[in-house]
Amino acid sequence: MLSFITARQIGLDPPVRLRRAESARRVLSLELNHDREVERIHGNGINTIDIEVIEGRYMLSGGSDGVIVIYDLENNSRKLQYTCRAVCTVGRSSRHVHRFSVETVQWYPHDTGMFVSSSFDKTMKVWDTETLKPAEVFQFEGNVYCHHMSPIARKHSLIAVGTKDPKVQLCDLKSGSRIHILQGHRGEVLSVRWSPRYEHILATASADSRVRVWDVRRASGSLFTLDQQNGDQSKTSTETVNTAHDGRVNGLCFTHDGLYLLTTGTDDRMRLWNSSTGENTLVNYGKVVNESRKGVKLTVSQGCSPEFVFVPCGSSVMVYALHTGEMITTLRGHYNNVDCCEFHPDYQELYSGGKDCNILAWVPVLRGPDTEDEETAKVKAGASAAVNPAFEDAWSSDED
Amino acid sequence: MNVALAWWLTPVNLPQFSLLLLLNFSSDMNRKRSLIPDAFRVKKRRFGADNINGHPEHGDTQADGPPDVKATLQYLMTLFPRKLFNDSLPQIVFKHQLYSLHSDKTLVDKQVNELRDKGELLMFQLGFGSDAFGLVFSEDYRTKVLAMEDGRSTLGTVEKFLDKVLPGCSDLSFSKDKMLKHFLFTDSEITQLVKSGVLTVRDAGSWWLSIPNSGRFTKYFIQGRKAVLGMVKKSKYNEILKNDLQERRTTSHVKLDIKYHIHDIIGAELVECIQTTSGTLLRFVDT
Repeated sequence: MLSFITARQIGLDPPVRLRRAESARRVLSLELNHDREVERIHGNGINTIDIEVIEGRYMLSGGSDGVIVIYDLENNSRKLQYTCRAVCTVGRSSRHVHRFSVETVQWYPHDTGMFVSSSFDKTMKVWDTETLKPAEVFQFEGNVYCHHMSPIARKHSLIAVGTKDPKVQLCDLKSGSRIHILQGHRGEVLSVRWSPRYEHILATASADSRVRVWDVRRASGSLFTLDQQNGDQSKTSTETVNTAHDGRVNGLCFTHDGLYLLTTGTDDRMRLWNSSTGENTLVNYGKVVNESRKGVKLTVSQGCSPEFVFVPCGSSVMVYALHTGEMITTLRGHYNNVDCCEFHPDYQELYSGGKDCNILAWVPVLRGPDTEDEETAKVKAGASAAVNPAFEDAWSSDED
Repeated sequence: MNVALAWWLTPVNLPQFSLLLLLNFSSDMNRKRSLIPDAFRVKKRRFGADNINGHPEHGDTQADGPPDVKATLQYLMTLFPRKLFNDSLPQIVFKHQLYSLHSDKTLVDKQVNELRDKGELLMFQLGFGSDAFGLVFSEDYRTKVLAMEDGRSTLGTVEKFLDKVLPGCSDLSFSKDKMLKHFLFTDSEITQLVKSGVLTVRDAGSWWLSIPNSGRFTKYFIQGRKAVLGMVKKSKYNEILKNDLQERRTTSHVKLDIKYHIHDIIGAELVECIQTTSGTLLRFVDT
């Protein structure tokens, strides 16, 4: 660590190298911490969480009972032990609460004055955070599985919505119109994601085993479909030709730079794709257990030098290295299925929520003292009041 | 210097590579302490009870460098029972059996593809799971197939197929117009190839590359896999030490070597591999 700092000081290394190395080290030491917990508000499982991008301070969560809660993640108490309190809730008593489970919530990418939630009651609501009343309600014909707003969009304010209908709908936030439709899938759309690199590129994953990448400005259909065999039609049986997975594709995640796309499917596989060409990079993650009938919300770390993927698998969160495919560790702590996880890029923390109604915060363990300082640390610890005064020996062996 | 530049440019960073870079760079600065590798040493990868990927018995990739897939293949081929099939079948190994011996699956896949491109290795879709690929060395395959065809009328066609198609094309299946136009086989020749067992029907108008007389192998394999998994399931707590499993007496259902089956179930992730102080523990994965 010291040599990283020295190298940065004398200019041998670019400053970002130290930051990336330290972020990666922190991610590798993620653990459940006694000192940090998130207040338990939901009475039923938690389906989705989202941390706002601007400050990284507020977290939204949506539950199976239709309740939406906003938590404050920042620790202003100067104590190590901190519970993230709920700032406000859209509870069952509110007039505007969703009738069935909330599947996706997302903060408005540019400020926290607004957030959007979509639910199995076939609606998507745009809420005003101050008053907690929906400013706009979009009605759909089928269950809404997911929605996403582009985090970088300046020229448009479209929300892509994936519902039970094979057509992907684009709702415009500015005008309230929903006439833009993307046709091409043949099954329900389980996950939609805008690219964080280009504001017009959208990826959608569907139960018909295909993942399509669209440019929303283009009228004539998708740009390309992801093919797990990279065009080699000889490897699999004829039914699975030109598909991204051998089962339903239910998880999509772009890496932070937008160059790669991760998909997970019910064939227990996770694949990494080059997002501009649609080529399967053939990284083998092994068996990534996936039994979800809805979408799986996986997430990728940001700003670390080997990037990591966090996938909820059963009742634990698995951590894989992004480009080599090796399994780093399993984060166990939930009592029931984990449904969603979200990475906080500034503190390298992971928040995961599941059916056991808990949101767990995985915090990097602080570095222990160095070997050279260990002796001094031990001496200090011995001298300080680490020993209970009741056991301290007041008796002295000296004559005096 | 060059070290820092290389780091900056490569987007894909294998931990071993970065470790080497760091060690090279910092060796003069930190002789007593090992602080820099600490930044990258995966703390959770101690061989504790949490570790899923067991310590490979045949060449530790973390110590050695890139895995030698060919040597592992040759070792696994020795586990295949030749006498059982009266020496008529070439030795078949599954691609996922390699995963039980090497921890980096992506590198293994890459090396297998390289061997296939060189023409030394052939891959087959054996029909019972879209991920179960069988691997056979090309020379073995040729000798066995020609030995079997010796004296039969289809010998000429099969020889032609082996000489023309296999060296150049490393596909697993062939479609009708590819066979007719690209390789210039006639319909009757294709029928002869199917009769001899080198091609198996996949779909109307396309065929899988296959190993003749491998039906018995597939049957014994599936039976044996079920039996070995049953042995793990019936154990107390659904787990058994790998050494114990190897010592166990196998029922008549298990005709292939039990070690062959153990590599198969570990590689296919049907059991979890956990390191304990008494060796590797195999725990049945309930899915």
